[in-house]
Amino acid sequence: MRDIFCTTTTLSGLALDFVIFSLLALSAWLVLRSGRISLGQQAFFGLGAYTAALATAVGGWSLLPALGLGMGVGALAGGLLAALTARLSGLQFAVGTLAFAELVRLGLSAWSWQRPNAQGQLRGPDGVNGFREIRWMQENQVSPEDYLIIAATLLALVLLFWAVVSRTRLGLATRAIGFDEGLAAASAIPVHRLRVTVSAAAGALAALSGGLFAHNLTFLDPAAFDPMLGIHAVGYALIGGMASVAGPLLGAAFDIGLLQATAGLASWRMVVFGGLVALFLRWRPRGLLDEALIDRLAGLWHAWRCPSPRPVFRFLTSLLKG
Amino acid sequence: MDAWLQHTLDGLLQAGPYALVGLGLTLGFGTLRRINLAYGASAMLAAYVGAWLHARYHVHPLAVLAVVLAVAVLAGAYVEWLCFPGARGIDRTRSAGTTLGTGTDAREVVALASSFAVWMQLEQLAVALLPHHLNAFPSWASEREWTVLGLGLRPDRLGQLLLALALVLALSRWLQHSRGGLMWRASASQVTAAHLVGVAVPRVQRIAFLATSALAGLAACVVLVVDGQVTPMFGMWMLVKGLVAAMLGGLGSVRGVLGGALVLGLAEAYAQALGGALARDATAWALLMVVLLWRARPGAERRTAHA
Repeated sequence: MRDIFCTTTTLSGLALDFVIFSLLALSAWLVLRSGRISLGQQAFFGLGAYTAALATAVGGWSLLPALGLGMGVGALAGGLLAALTARLSGLQFAVGTLAFAELVRLGLSAWSWQRPNAQGQLRGPDGVNGFREIRWMQENQVSPEDYLIIAATLLALVLLFWAVVSRTRLGLATRAIGFDEGLAAASAIPVHRLRVTVSAAAGALAALSGGLFAHNLTFLDPAAFDPMLGIHAVGYALIGGMASVAGPLLGAAFDIGLLQATAGLASWRMVVFGGLVALFLRWRPRGLLDEALIDRLAGLWHAWRCPSPRPVFRFLTSLLKG
Repeated sequence: MDAWLQHTLDGLLQAGPYALVGLGLTLGFGTLRRINLAYGASAMLAAYVGAWLHARYHVHPLAVLAVVLAVAVLAGAYVEWLCFPGARGIDRTRSAGTTLGTGTDAREVVALASSFAVWMQLEQLAVALLPHHLNAFPSWASEREWTVLGLGLRPDRLGQLLLALALVLALSRWLQHSRGGLMWRASASQVTAAHLVGVAVPRVQRIAFLATSALAGLAACVVLVVDGQVTPMFGMWMLVKGLVAAMLGGLGSVRGVLGGALVLGLAEAYAQALGGALARDATAWALLMVVLLWRARPGAERRTAHA
């Protein structure tokens, strides 16, 4: 069950994995941006996967409304968990999210609820056996390439949405509570309410990722939503970088590339990945794309756009200063 | 009625292993102010090395136990070096450079995430060493069962409980009534003040870290010689049960871990009787969640006991 990262070797399959795990990484990154670490984003991934699969396989819904419903459930669960845990310290919050995720995983493992669909076949979750026959793609003759386009469009919309929101007061306030909670509260930013909003948004993103995952794989095993998935989500964000939305995408691309490069050493992959996350946290806690690097890249871009000597000179001196 | 009495007895006996695995975590938090999520995985890796020596070279059981203790300490040292670099020394205890934010406990949270990653790493390393699900461990499980007042009682389980009791009481007495214990408690509660009155805080912290790692190895040995086997679930089991027992007893309190283990053991025994294995697994996490929310309730007094 731990091989949900190795479901395919085709190029379109890899691209789809990249989109799905980028969305999950974005959800962990969003919580990190608000100054907290969630070790339980896999719970919302699982909830979104089950909800969207129920909507299409039992309810006969189309994919997009089903994904929307999954996102709604993910947002509700994320918001509720954040509201309940608002008073916890960062350490307690991290342990609390892990406990919540394990409770969700065990709850899904115990849940059997099979109902006949339009064709009279029994569909739905079947306890530890998981949820089988999620055949929306096959029933609607959607090819893997078309599915990839749908998923990539959704990821692009999410990135576009973030690009707009990050420039608003809401986006800036989220960043502010991530940097200094006390200072943000002193600047009249409603810290708790904002954290609930961010957690709800992160829950929705993880649920969207789960919904896409469910319809691609056609079956769900509740054991897949284990802490290993959670460390991947946080690991992608931490390796890629905290400063920019490109960070979690870079992290996901890095891991999927690593997976392909070390296909023969599958059992050692987690040994490398786990070690890398820990090494990054020790020596580069804000990831590859941290604020300093983003500033330098912005300087380079600016120098290239305005080729007068001064910005170039300023950039070079900034590099020399380190 | 007899069945429920038997469940109660089973729950009480189960408190032994839970208290043993909780002890290392609670000592680690009490002295070093940290939650080490790789705690169970370190012990699991050590147990796997022991099982590998046992199966492949038929090493004597006592030598296997010594190796498990040694590897647990080594794995602990690796986790310490990688995840908790700022924990040693006086000058670095205030802040260890960049963190996620600059919140009060940001450093601890980063260390927690880091130990989470190392947990997965060590667990995979153990599985890569012995890929089977069940691996034989030297077994000292008792063959017979005593009958006391019509209830079944396994002597090896009773032995685990008595060992846990003895260890908790001895540690707690040492912490309260010895000079070493006083230094230990002083370093835990106020690093700078302890340093100013002449306590060698880094040395105390090193000993504390060695003690917690060795305790993790010892707990793994005591649990596994009764089970006679080790599975890839052992690391997770040890962390969750230990964390819940330690948190229920008030993280940092040595005597409290015994109470926490009793509550967990009894709750799990009843949950198993009512709802099966899944309910038993969920009980530990649900208790953990309830404890966290209870401790963070409005107006809750934040205090941490040390013994």
